[in-house]
Amino acid sequence: MEVNKEEFESTCRLFIESVSNYFSVMTDHDSEINVPFLKDITQLELKQYTGMIGISGNKQGYVYFSANQDLFEELINIFIGIDDPDTDDLMDMAGEISNVIAGNIRASLGTNFIISVPLVFEGRPADLEFPEDTFVYVIPLTWRNHQAYVIVGLQ
Amino acid sequence: MNMKLLIVDDSSVMQRTIQKNLVDYDLEIVGTASNGIQAIELVKKHMPDVITMDITMPEMDGITCLENIMAIHPDTKVMMITALSDKLTGLQALEKGARGFIYKPVNSESLTRALDKLLKRKVSGS
Repeated sequence: MEVNKEEFESTCRLFIESVSNYFSVMTDHDSEINVPFLKDITQLELKQYTGMIGISGNKQGYVYFSANQDLFEELINIFIGIDDPDTDDLMDMAGEISNVIAGNIRASLGTNFIISVPLVFEGRPADLEFPEDTFVYVIPLTWRNHQAYVIVGLQ
Repeated sequence: MNMKLLIVDDSSVMQRTIQKNLVDYDLEIVGTASNGIQAIELVKKHMPDVITMDITMPEMDGITCLENIMAIHPDTKVMMITALSDKLTGLQALEKGARGFIYKPVNSESLTRALDKLLKRKVSGS
């Protein structure tokens, strides 16, 4: 099923609300959403750690949450009070945020918006492939001086 | 004697966040599981009174796990904690035996409030 541009932008607004809600509920500091942009995903530089959720059902595509180590370290410190999380913790955090951001979209789009378990990676794997014919929307955000991206790609 | 709690979530950070948020709550945490299969083994071993259960997990999802647990230990009170925030998923879990349902993101306040309701305790902070 193909997604038109209007429908795609409407879906992206849901992701903006979802990521804003995450930081608002889980921390004492709101995130600042910067101006989203359309991007050729092959040219996008990912941050240090990225959580990826596959989307299937009535929409096909993916959502990424990508940020540097310092953002995940600070979140983990707030949540469980440790200062020196290991790489597994950082990757776990990236996966969990991407899961919550994507899962919350079902409040609006229902059960046919099916999400996968998170896949997490460090850097940008050489074999990372993106489906063709996708609208890719990059939502940059800032939380406590840390920058991150929510990247939404829908066919 | 405190009631026994099992935490089921594929995120280790989320498991520890729940543990930290409940450090002053009168529940004995008897284990943590990262998927439904591990959870069933721990239910057989510890017979927990309360379980917090994620849904989207590898190996076995939380809804399937819930069905299995209800067959083994139907008196346990299972509260689903999931990012899947559509109403139908919540209703499906309740139909299969869950006693409560809250959506991620979950902070300390929303977690203890949900547990107070589940366990019919006096509401925290009132």
